[in-house]
Parts: sequence; C-alpha cells; structure tokens
Amino acid sequence: MNDRERLMSGELVEARPSTSSGRMGQRVEVVLIYQSLLGLYGDRGNATVLIKRLAWRGYEPVLTLVEPGDPLPDSGHVYLLGGGEDAAQVSAVRALKADGGLQRAADRGAAILAVCAGYQIVGNTFTVGYRDEVISGLGLLDVNTTRGPARAVGEIISRWKGRAGRDRWITGFENHGGYTRLGPGVTPLAAVEIGVGNCNDGTEGAVAGTVIGTYPHGPILARNPALADHILELALGHELEPLAHPEINKLRRQRLARVRRSYARSR
Amino acid sequence: MSIATVRLSAATLAGRAVGAASRLTRRGTGASIRGKVMLKIDPDALAKLLAGKRIAVVSGTNGKTTTTHFLAAALRTSLELRDGGLVHNADGANLHHGLASALSQHPDAGVAILECDERVVSDVIRLGQPEVLVLLNFSRDQLDRHHEIKGLGRSWRTALADAGPSGPIVVANADEPLVVWAALAAKQVVWVDTASTWRQDSSQCPECDASLIRTQPDPASGLGSDWYCSSCELARPKGDYRVESGTIIDRAQQVWDPQLSVPGVFNVSNAACALAAAELMGVEPRAALSGMRTVSSPAGRFATARFGKTTARLLLAKNPAGWAEALPLAQTQTVILAIDSAAADGRDVSWLWDVDYERLAGRSVIATGRRAQDLAVRLRYADVEYRCIPDLAAALADHPEPVDVIATYTPFQRLRRMGRV
Repeated sequence: MNDRERLMSGELVEARPSTSSGRMGQRVEVVLIYQSLLGLYGDRGNATVLIKRLAWRGYEPVLTLVEPGDPLPDSGHVYLLGGGEDAAQVSAVRALKADGGLQRAADRGAAILAVCAGYQIVGNTFTVGYRDEVISGLGLLDVNTTRGPARAVGEIISRWKGRAGRDRWITGFENHGGYTRLGPGVTPLAAVEIGVGNCNDGTEGAVAGTVIGTYPHGPILARNPALADHILELALGHELEPLAHPEINKLRRQRLARVRRSYARSR
Repeated sequence: MSIATVRLSAATLAGRAVGAASRLTRRGTGASIRGKVMLKIDPDALAKLLAGKRIAVVSGTNGKTTTTHFLAAALRTSLELRDGGLVHNADGANLHHGLASALSQHPDAGVAILECDERVVSDVIRLGQPEVLVLLNFSRDQLDRHHEIKGLGRSWRTALADAGPSGPIVVANADEPLVVWAALAAKQVVWVDTASTWRQDSSQCPECDASLIRTQPDPASGLGSDWYCSSCELARPKGDYRVESGTIIDRAQQVWDPQLSVPGVFNVSNAACALAAAELMGVEPRAALSGMRTVSSPAGRFATARFGKTTARLLLAKNPAGWAEALPLAQTQTVILAIDSAAADGRDVSWLWDVDYERLAGRSVIATGRRAQDLAVRLRYADVEYRCIPDLAAALADHPEPVDVIATYTPFQRLRRMGRV
C-alpha cells in the first residue's frame, strides 16, 4: 500500500509535512455543484477554503460553478456538494443523474466532498417529504437515508477515524432531518463525541475511496483545515506542507471548549 | 364586565407589573415578558386585543421593522384623530407575546400597525382579520429554527386561502417568487415591483419545483429584471407600484422622490410597500410620504450613537440578504462587525461564508461579538485586514473618526442599550 492508498483508507495516522514544492503554478480545479440548489447552509465556504489553501501554497486554483443543465467538467480535481431543501435535493439528483459527470469523476479518483443533502444525494437512496417518498441517489457511497425520529440540529464534535493529535477533532454544525445508515461498502468518517451524526449510532459521515460524505456545516472545511488539506491531498495524489493559521487553531479550541462545556452543563 | 374581559384585565395588569420589574432591573424593555405573562393568564388575550381594530400587518425576512415604522408614520397624522389612536409594536417584538404586549399598552386604539414574525402571520390572519397584509421578502435566516423557508411561504398561502373573502388585501413584493406564490391565494393583491436584487434564495418554482428563469435588467430597453417558471404558469406579476432609479411610481403613475431619512435603496423598496399599504388604509401618497420622511432610526436601525469618545452608526444585518444590503452602506475606513449566535441570531454561523466580506478589502475591520473568531477566520480567507476584539465595549472604544457598525440581532440590541438609542 502506498501512502496515498493508506491515506485514502484512513490508515495513515497523520499527514506529515513531506514536500509539495516544485508544483508552483499547477492548475487545480475545484467544482462547486449547483449552488442555487445546494447552497442553503453556507457550504460554498468549502470552495473558498480550498481555493485559498491552494493559492497560499502557490498552486493556480480555478473555481468552476456549475448549475443544473451545465455539464460537469471532466477536468475537476475536487467536486463539492452542499446542503439544501428537499425539493432542491430532488432536482439536484435528477440533474446529476442526467449529467453523469460526478460518477465519472468518482471513477477516475477525483476527490468528492458531499455535505448534508449532498451526502444523501451521493448515497444509494434517501427519502423526502412527510410521505417519505424514496428517491434513488447516485450510489457513490453505500449509504441509505430515511427520515429520522427528530431533526438533528446543533453543534457536533466527532473524532476523525485514523487520525491522531489535535487535528482529529472535527467540529461543525449539523442540521438534518434524515438519518443515514452505512452499508458494508463504506467506512465512517468519524466517531461522534457530541451530536447525532449519521443516525445516533455513534458514527458520522462515510468514506469510500476518494468520496467523502458528511453532515456538518460550519462550513466543515473552514473549521477543520486538516480535512480540507486531506481532500486536496486525495485530489492531488501527494502530501501538502501544513499552513500555520493561529486564528483557525484559536477558533477550533474555542468551539471545542464551548461546545463541550455547554454539553456537560446540559447533562 | 364579562368573565372574558375580567380575565384580560387581570392579564394586562399582571403583565404590566412584570414589565415594569423587567425595566427596573434593566433586563429589557419589558415588552416580551409582559406579553408572556399576559398570554399565560389569558391565552385568548391576543385575539381579544386584536378585536374591533383596523389592522395592517407587515412580515418578511428583512425590512419588517422599518416598513412598519414607515406605515405607522404614514398613517399616524391622518388617521389618529379619526380612528381613536394608533398602536404599533415599534420596538420590533413581533411574536405572539410581543404583539399582545404592544396592543395592551393602547387597548383603545382604533388602528394597529403590527410587524409580525414570519411564523406568526397565519395566526394573526386568523385571529385579527387584518385589513392589509404586507409581504416583503423571504430569505434564509435562522435555519436552525426555520429549516426550510418554503414551509413558511406555504403557511402564509394556506392561511390566506382559508381566510377567503374575510382575509386581508395583500401588498406583495412582485420580485420574490415565494411571496408571489403565497400572495396569490389572497382575495386581492397589490403588487409592488421593488427592484430588489437578492436572488440566492429562490431558484426553484414554489408551485412546481421546476427551475425559475430570470432575466437581468436591460438598460438599453429600460426593462427591469423579470422571472418566470420554466414549466408552469407562475411568473412575475406586473407591479401596481414600482421602484425605479430611486423613485416610487404609484398606481396612478405619479412619480415620487421619496427623500427618506434612512439610507439604502432597499429602504425605497420598503417605502413603496408602505405607500401601497397606506393608500389601502385610506391615506393618499403625498401625506403618507411626508409622514414616512420623519422616520430616521426605526428601533435603532441607522441610529448614530456615542460610545465614550466614539461616534458610531448602527446597522443591523441578520442574514446574507441583509448583509448584502448593509455592507455597501458601511462607508467608514474602520468598520466594526459584531457577530453572535444566540437563538435570535441563529445558532449556526455558516452563513458568514455566504456574505461577500471580500468587498471590505483595503478597510480596517474589527471583528467583535461572541462569534468574532468565526468572523476572523472568514476575513482571513477573504484577505481582509482585521483585528479581533470580542468584547463589544472594547471594540467600540476610542475611535477618533466616526465608525459604521454592522451587527447581528443580539449585539445590535446590546449596542442600542449601550448607546441609548
């Protein structure tokens, strides 16, 4: 197993600062999918974060916005989906099936981060509305989503599988009515410390190859820069030098402490 | 005295007592707690207080408070004497208990001008049979509580359909598809072409979920922006009133230069809606506008306040649509941005990433409030220079030049108390 495969399987414990120099000016394309349908919860920030983290390292990032009816580019390195309302989610999955580009992206090993409604869309099936109409998803992740007993709304802290150190905490804000159950074809992204996660079963998110599904907004990559870099590493196939950002570390410490404190108080 | 009246009186008295206590202990204006106690003692208090009044209601995500102030000012001079006074929830307390509280302060008023939270509109239509309902706009706001804005639109539509011929005449923003869809259930609608530009929260047809087609304004032909459904019949109605280049054109095609005392093109849109509502209530545009021009800092919005040596103008922005309006107004070199995530602000601050803070590049920004650090990270990614000073008083201290402050709801209310505006 090479580093990349170990990284993908979650076995690699921590991304070490090996080198990524000599790639200055390399074009890296981030594709933000259907912002008009899946842009309700600020998840476009994930694109902002990736683009900046690439630029700060000397890459030449390109942000491509795709709306329903536009073909997804086959040149993307990272594809991003975010959260949205039921009706928007159904329109989005219909358009993505008609396009077929996301399936091709997954097949060739591009990185895909799908958040909330986007996560449900890349799964096998999900339900919408109070009549629980079953909609088939893109099948990129072996997960199925049905309406949960109560909407999961609040801060969430989870522990990233296979990670050590302070980067292992994933912090965000979940807001979803669907509960997602994982099939044998995926591994959970993280273990829940505080919050609901997939379906109150202690797991959060799902990973298969270079496809990651997860619930938290925040946006998740703004609050968890190590996860942002992990996705870029999946997309680029090599490790990246870490970036020092004291303000992000401070935000992480603050969020983790405040959320744990208010959780302890509520017990 | 009937039992019902006795109970309402007892409720009003008890509410007044706790309201006074709340003010004395400086915990708040007393409005909210006063109403809560009243509704506890008499659950029918709101219906009783609404009974027998001429009522106009204003709702929508942004602009409720200012529009309600416009409408109250427009009506006050003309209707006050004729209809036994006017009651207005001027402080912006717009849930059931806030409405009950305001109404109980002037139980004999003949006219009530009420801003209502989006979730309260259906109840007020049912309980109060308002004469006029102004529906301004819908955008994402406090998604941790509301989840889906379409559900709110549906509740308005249902309430209007249920009210039938006894329901209100609706004044509706023709630029907002969800507002239009909800308003179409009313017995009569006056459409206002508000020339509003926020598009991010309406890409799908509320009727059939197909995508909406939008066209941009065309300066050459003079045609404004338009929208229509790609599949069904839903389309932008023709405005009875229009906003054009900062002027308001009324239904008689008379052009008015609003000359408002509050800034922002969005406030011209709000004024156009208030003008339409005032006409329905029986006040002609000239008189209505002269009243509206007296509105300068509705519930502290756009107010200039002193904080020690600092002179600051206070702007409220509660969601991405509100920020898109407020950011261009902030003109000072130093800009203070106050962010919180209390219940009234929305507990999820992910929306910070839907706001174009990049436009502040080159200015000196101070991030403050309990979620200042979230804003700091956002500004870092926007390449905007900032200092992070979470404490509000410290952030406001010692600015030699006037500063513009944009705040979410909770810090905005704190700043009003600190600056006494």
